[in-house]
Amino acid sequence: MASVEIRNVQKSFGAAKILHGVSLDIKDQEFVVLVGPSGCGKSTLLRMIAGLEAITDGEIAIGGKVINDVPPKDRDIAMVFQSYALYPHMSVHDNIAFSLKLRKKSREEIETRVNEAADILNLGDYLQRSPRQLSGGQRQRVAMGRALVRDAQVFLYDEPLSNLDAKLRVSMRTEIKSLHQRVKTTSVYVTHDQIEALTMADRIVVMNAGRVEQVGTPLELYDTPANLFVADFIGSPSMNFIRGTLQQGEAGTFVLGEDGTRLAVPESFAGRAGRKVVYGVRPEHFMLATEDRGAEAIVEVVEPTGANIEVFAELAGERVCALFSERHPFKPGDKIRLATDLGKVHLFDAESGRRL
Amino acid sequence: MSQRLKKSLLYWLALSPLVVVILFPFGVMFVTAVRPREELFVYPPRWTFSEFRWDNFVDMWEKTNFGGALFNSLYVSVAATALALVLSIPAAYALSRYRFHGKGLYRNFLLMTQMMSPIVLVLGLFRLMVQFGLVNNLNSLVLTYAAFNMAFTIWMLQSYFNTIPRELEEAAWMDGASHFVSLAKIFLPLAVPAMVVTGIFTFINSWNEFVLALTMIRSQDQYTLPVQIFSQVAGRYQVEWHHVMAGTVLATVPVAIVFSWLQRYLIRGMALGAVK
Repeated sequence: MASVEIRNVQKSFGAAKILHGVSLDIKDQEFVVLVGPSGCGKSTLLRMIAGLEAITDGEIAIGGKVINDVPPKDRDIAMVFQSYALYPHMSVHDNIAFSLKLRKKSREEIETRVNEAADILNLGDYLQRSPRQLSGGQRQRVAMGRALVRDAQVFLYDEPLSNLDAKLRVSMRTEIKSLHQRVKTTSVYVTHDQIEALTMADRIVVMNAGRVEQVGTPLELYDTPANLFVADFIGSPSMNFIRGTLQQGEAGTFVLGEDGTRLAVPESFAGRAGRKVVYGVRPEHFMLATEDRGAEAIVEVVEPTGANIEVFAELAGERVCALFSERHPFKPGDKIRLATDLGKVHLFDAESGRRL
Repeated sequence: MSQRLKKSLLYWLALSPLVVVILFPFGVMFVTAVRPREELFVYPPRWTFSEFRWDNFVDMWEKTNFGGALFNSLYVSVAATALALVLSIPAAYALSRYRFHGKGLYRNFLLMTQMMSPIVLVLGLFRLMVQFGLVNNLNSLVLTYAAFNMAFTIWMLQSYFNTIPRELEEAAWMDGASHFVSLAKIFLPLAVPAMVVTGIFTFINSWNEFVLALTMIRSQDQYTLPVQIFSQVAGRYQVEWHHVMAGTVLATVPVAIVFSWLQRYLIRGMALGAVK
């Protein structure tokens, strides 16, 4: 097990720059998730750690040793691929044992370790089958097993769950997490699914267009997103945004929406009156308010999800989503008043997108 | 009659013209080969004959040096196939996996060589072989057959290699395999069907080739089968048709054996995809 340090790493394919200087310290035993929309460079970064892509500029060190020029086979890294990349002409047993055979381990040791991995992953009954005869979830576990037998310094996961159906994905997520709690190998996990990131990570790295937008624990990112991108990307349903101008009135500080709606914000923003801002509030932080508080909204669509109801309504000229655990009998066209705790309001600069 | 039987009959009926066209020459070949010599020229021509004269094959073998020609053909075809594969596999791998300058140009060049008939090049090739001192040497045929087939084998192999996911090799590297080991243990075993298919094509092409063999080879003891059989027909006062046909029957046998032995790889090649 080892730490991974990424220092100002850049990547270009010809004239196209994919990564614009990424720096990141991954501690020993940490589970770090790289998350971002497709094309943001997260998989490229992972492949650079693995040694499958050359590093255009910057340095990557594993366990304190710079590995820029070390070939993948000597980096002592195990990787789980999105397509699993199981060797189709080998049995499950041989797939898992392949790396051990290459390292010339004794027959007994190979058997012990393959059986250990198979026990952990419930693959005992399938060892003699070929990958073709396995279901998607089983193949995924074989891919995990191949990484697990190795005692590698670092585990890399490249969207390992995206080929599974929704239900299996949730259970494999838990399995991977509990596996990490047991073996504690430093892990870097790439996904475009922010729920996966939130549920699994010790720390999340949000990436966009070849840059790191924010690094933090799941709840840090959720509670204090550093900018509009992170605020929008993390959380489902995602944060509501209303554009407006900060104003100072007798009743306090508020954001004046484009249609004249007033949305109260904490007094601490009073000094920045006149600034163009984006007012953000998460769906679950909306409350129903009485006549004198909040702002009026017109219900457009109501979607029950079982645990909650999602109410889509027009507020200050924008469509917002409010999440209630109570069973409100709203119908399209109803007028309701939405308010939020001032402490739950996020304000972002309209131009730079940064959190105020 | 069941629905399925009706359908099958209909399909066979539709296919029958094709079957006749393909089988007719074989039919003629076979009945001529096993017919007694006296019954060769009867009028009107008949499919039937008085007895199976298997001795025709034995006579033909002795009189026409068939064994020598068979060996020459085998040597040339096997060696040309091996040479073509040994050179094509790395070329196809590079085309499939690496980016390099002039890649598009090289691919187009390969395609263009396919548009030229060997007959056009025969004179040039002959002079080349004179330079190499390879005239009347079977190795001249090995070289030219391999060269002529390589454009095709490289294209075929490359398009098959493209279907083998890169991630399999990457996974092997991550597992600790060197480039060479991942090629030998992961990539090549998966590429076997493609190698077999291209191998069959090269073998059959080399086996049947006539013009180059006629040009490069001078002495009878170096003749390959097509030239040997041709020499039984051309420039003779009397053509021993039953011997010629016995020769052609025997000459098609190795091709049939090679094909039926290797065709299961063809089918496996189609069934074998990467695990998704």
